[in-house]
Amino acid sequence: MIIAEQKHLEELKQVLAGYKKVLNVGCGGCTSVCLAGGMREVDELNTKLTASFKAEDVPFKIDAIVVERQCEPHFIADLDRMVEKYDALLCMGCGAGAQFLAERYPAKPVFPALNSKFVGVNRDVGWYEERCKCCGECVLATTGGICPMTMCAKGLLNGPCGGPQDGHCEVNKDAPCAWIQIYERLKAQGRLENMCKIFPAREWEGQTQGSLVLEQYKDRYAKKTE
Amino acid sequence: MSEELTGPEKVPSPEKVPRPIDLEQIRELLESKKGRMSFCLSACAGCTLCAESCFLFRKHEEDPRYMPSFKVLNTLGMLYKKKGKVSREQLEQMKELLWKNCMLCERCYCPLGIDLPNMVAFARSILRSQGIDGVFPHSQGAPEPE
Repeated sequence: MIIAEQKHLEELKQVLAGYKKVLNVGCGGCTSVCLAGGMREVDELNTKLTASFKAEDVPFKIDAIVVERQCEPHFIADLDRMVEKYDALLCMGCGAGAQFLAERYPAKPVFPALNSKFVGVNRDVGWYEERCKCCGECVLATTGGICPMTMCAKGLLNGPCGGPQDGHCEVNKDAPCAWIQIYERLKAQGRLENMCKIFPAREWEGQTQGSLVLEQYKDRYAKKTE
Repeated sequence: MSEELTGPEKVPSPEKVPRPIDLEQIRELLESKKGRMSFCLSACAGCTLCAESCFLFRKHEEDPRYMPSFKVLNTLGMLYKKKGKVSREQLEQMKELLWKNCMLCERCYCPLGIDLPNMVAFARSILRSQGIDGVFPHSQGAPEPE
């Protein structure tokens, strides 16, 4: 899932300054699960913003709504009848959600309340770890299920680099070397020959805007994607 | 979070201080989509075809509590039937059907065109309006943020 964290209150106050009526839009998807933008976080942030502006005698009113997923058009359609009443929208979804809101309501300023951090796993409640760069050329089949793009500080596709000491990364000594972990995993699985495979230079598809239409839907969307 | 958000007031926890059910708010929400939702609820023929398209229903050995129509009729349907006069306990019981028993993957298929996912989403929004949220980890008793 997408992991996000809340922006600082002061930063949010700066962008909201001058807007008297704001709708805070939470998301019931990823940002709810990572405790950044669900119902509880929306209520908490609204209380803090209201109290903070009130303490400065600044007129400010903020309402709350949580949609199921901000990345789906029919779920945010519920906002159509509401947004006119507000000067601006505060978005507690990920960056994709904020952009989808801004696209649907181009006349309204949309401000993100979160910083989207990464695609990660839920190690425990409140403890998340990045596991995927969404690079578009997955090599996990070869690397024993450990992603060198994500877990190696240098993102090396062919490693290790020569810098690790006692199994730890030379960039971050608290972190294990991803390529030594890959070696150990492959060795345990009897697949060490994979270490000799040389990956060619990447095309870095993940650095450009991504769009994916499943094969069976290509006819349906042919005109839209041309 | 990157830093403890500062504010002059301490925020009370919604879980620790459950507010009373706002029946008027529930009624207003139900009224806002009454035409469409009542039509969809009454249109259900009970054909159970939606169940076949639900992967949770198939995974849970065809337990009827995972049938999309069951989930909708026993949550949103009940809310309309009782005209919004429900207790917090009844809303809490609906939480399981609406979150645990439904991923809202939107793959449920109705031959009559009933928009089941939208009905689940609407029922969830009514529960949220009363401070009830079944998203993990809230549903698992997640500790309060410090």
